[in-house]
Amino acid sequence: MKDFVLLFRNAGEPMNTLSPQQMQNLMTDWQNWMGGIAAQDKLSNSGYRLSTEGNTLKANNVTTDGPFAEIKEILTGVAIIKAETLEEANELAKGCPILKVGGSVEVRGVIVMNMDYNK
Amino acid sequence: MKDFVLIFRGVNDDPSNQLSPQQMQDIMTNWQNWMGGIAAQNKLVSGGYRLGDEISTLKPGNVVTDGPYAEIKEMLSGLIVVKADSLAEAKEIAKGCPILMINGSVEVRSVIVMN
Repeated sequence: MKDFVLLFRNAGEPMNTLSPQQMQNLMTDWQNWMGGIAAQDKLSNSGYRLSTEGNTLKANNVTTDGPFAEIKEILTGVAIIKAETLEEANELAKGCPILKVGGSVEVRGVIVMNMDYNK
Repeated sequence: MKDFVLIFRGVNDDPSNQLSPQQMQDIMTNWQNWMGGIAAQNKLVSGGYRLGDEISTLKPGNVVTDGPYAEIKEMLSGLIVVKADSLAEAKEIAKGCPILMINGSVEVRSVIVMN
């Protein structure tokens, strides 16, 4: 089993336009999806949900406010799962609720590094 | 202290492909020094993930494509998680990232705590 990083993207904050009930349904969808992956012992790290507070740094000391803009979407979160192959990771990613609200999931293999930063 | 995710992007035609072994080694040393410095301040939450070239992107309607999310000039190459009191402090930490020396970028993002 290897780790795969799932990158969630969506346009802005679609949550802002949802009713409390829709919001609750979406949260339940996420919990069910991630709970299902965890139940298979394939959730390596439940990851991070990213807020829109952010900065982007570029070369030559250039700093811009806000998240890195990729076309119309921004990164909204990450999670790490375990799978034997990219295909299996894709199958697990297919249930992601963000796909029901126009978002996307990028599935990426990981390069294992042997660095000990605590030395 | 809060968690901040640092997201690294490099140019698609990775200049590291054309680097000599010595230059490669220097870049690795720069990364180790930078991350080691953050760890020494007890501000490295996760050494994170360096992303490889096994890539798929899923979109609504059961669409699965090979390759990264966007074929723009930059793609995501890795991420780490650091601790800081504020976005400004996290930004100061990010300023030392070696990817900035080779025209990459670092996105600094705060985290929404989920229960």
